[in-house]
Amino acid sequence: MNVLDYLADGFMTALQWHNILFAFFGVLIGTSVGVLPGIGPMSGVALLIPVTASMTSGLPPEAAATSSIILLAGVYYGAMYGGSTTSILLNTPGESSSVVTTLDGYQMAKQGRAGAALSIAAIGSFVAGLFALVALIALAQPLSSVAINFGPADYFSLMLLGLCAVSGLAGKSITKALIMTVFGLLLATIGMDTVSGVARFTFGIPLLYSGLEFLTIAVGLFALGEVFKTILEKDYSSGGIAKIGRVLPSRQDLKDSAAPITRGSILGFFIGILPGAGATLASFFSYIVEKKVSKKPETFGKGNIAGVAAPESANNAASGGAMIPLLTLGIPGSGTTAILMGALIMYNIQPGPLLFEEHPQVAWGLIASMLIGNLLLLVLNMPLVKVFAKVIQTPAKYLIPIIIAISVFGVYAVQAQVFDLILLLGCGIAGFLLARNDFPLAPLVLGLVLGPMIENNMRRALTTSNGDFMIFLQKPMSLAFLIIAVLWIAVPILLKRRGKEVVVNEEG
Amino acid sequence: MNRTFDRYASIVFLLLGIGFMWQSASISATSYGSTVGPNIFPFGLGLVLVLLSIRLFYEVMKTKPNEQKKAQLDYKRFFIIFITAFLYAYFLEFIGYIIGTFVFLLVAFQTIERGKWLKSILIAGLFSISVYVIFVVLLEGSMPGFPSWLS
Repeated sequence: MNVLDYLADGFMTALQWHNILFAFFGVLIGTSVGVLPGIGPMSGVALLIPVTASMTSGLPPEAAATSSIILLAGVYYGAMYGGSTTSILLNTPGESSSVVTTLDGYQMAKQGRAGAALSIAAIGSFVAGLFALVALIALAQPLSSVAINFGPADYFSLMLLGLCAVSGLAGKSITKALIMTVFGLLLATIGMDTVSGVARFTFGIPLLYSGLEFLTIAVGLFALGEVFKTILEKDYSSGGIAKIGRVLPSRQDLKDSAAPITRGSILGFFIGILPGAGATLASFFSYIVEKKVSKKPETFGKGNIAGVAAPESANNAASGGAMIPLLTLGIPGSGTTAILMGALIMYNIQPGPLLFEEHPQVAWGLIASMLIGNLLLLVLNMPLVKVFAKVIQTPAKYLIPIIIAISVFGVYAVQAQVFDLILLLGCGIAGFLLARNDFPLAPLVLGLVLGPMIENNMRRALTTSNGDFMIFLQKPMSLAFLIIAVLWIAVPILLKRRGKEVVVNEEG
Repeated sequence: MNRTFDRYASIVFLLLGIGFMWQSASISATSYGSTVGPNIFPFGLGLVLVLLSIRLFYEVMKTKPNEQKKAQLDYKRFFIIFITAFLYAYFLEFIGYIIGTFVFLLVAFQTIERGKWLKSILIAGLFSISVYVIFVVLLEGSMPGFPSWLS
């Protein structure tokens, strides 16, 4: 079967009525998550894993996985659309990837062109989403056929590279990011060892034999961490929003933003593929590029529509690009994709080169549903943008306790253990404290998800070499990955030594 | 950068690293058919964690203390909500989902902002009952609805 046949099959899956419904709810919730300042894409996705798990419990395992991942991915890219709304109307970004959009978006809103800014952001996101998907379809199979030849040593080094890339770019201190990564890997070793069946670090407590549940930790660190921060910092105000006015962009607006959207899409997509560099970096870079190529760079920051179109396209393209290493290599490049990967593993579906062979329904169904989801988002965001502007005004007084209640419900629904609820609350406090002191959380989750796989590949490689660690340097692919990994950590440190500013990815 | 927190964090991570190394020494060193046992990976990671936390401690010592004004944190509201959440989680199986969630939401709503009792009661009631109905009645999940000693 060639790619188009697979894609057609994917559409068969994605167009089942319940999957359309899941895609619709995914993007709807995603847009709301993007609009609401309290929760970002990471906590949104983490919060919804248990909800989708209970919603799909009646379906056969593979169909359940497809439907849930369709919804969760919808939340992920839907949040990229929604984030622009608050940036433009309130001058407060809903999530970190739309920080740059505030520069020109809010200025446009002040000039009474909020509607045009919002619709250009939606159109740009749509075009970028389509571009990223077409590229994903084209690259998915060739990449997975390369990756399928990787041996355990190559895989180990590749995952190490992924971890180093995320740690190198996350937050202000590389040491702290590395500590979080290693800590995540260590947490993953708790429980029954899958290779030998030996219990590790369980201290005879039966609850620990199955290991710490990824879901509990992710929901606690991200969703509860953010909620606790909001409560402690008394950050409930929503402020006044700008008037939206005419929603459709003028012909001149469209003409002015066509080139920025194209550049933003391409740039964003390639930045998205790189592990560690996510939507936030993509939007920053594309803004800088636009300013450089523009004939009138002085108009940036004063309501230039290119300053909205380019970063909004870039962040959406990046979220599409980030799906490539996740689906084809099984290496998540950011916190949100790590959570998506955790969700897939919960359904016993291992992302990676074999995904397209073993579970074509999941892989292609997801890709097809992303096309449908992007279309739904365009429809949702153009006429309904005024409705979403109302969502901003949801009183935090009600929202915050409800987020706590949803976390508790979700974790209990999946785990049915009071122990997990206590762990959840503990992780909430840890998440707040760590994030407040610049310990990035994304590397921890990444370590937790990749931990078992790294360990298994390492041990498999070492078994073939009779315990000789040189095997990682003797295999050419593995050696190349390790060199890149070292460079990824070393180069930012050297640049910092020289006193250069290094762009870091706050979102992770 | 909060030096005190970072200093304590580096010590905590150092102890955790040592703890993992110490505990992994008691795991059997080989597994059947392989010279590489389940102890190597955690032991190595523990070692890396120890080295990194020493590095962090050194970094903290090197930075000069800079007094920065911290926004006053709202501990009172946070502790009320957190303790309520803890009691809610701890006694969830005992008092059942509906009553537990209702009480938790009501307390939390009123802690953040006093007043508007009717609206708070309505939202709390609506949320707890509708989640229960959707999850248990429609999706047939298992969740203790009402306390077993009540029915």
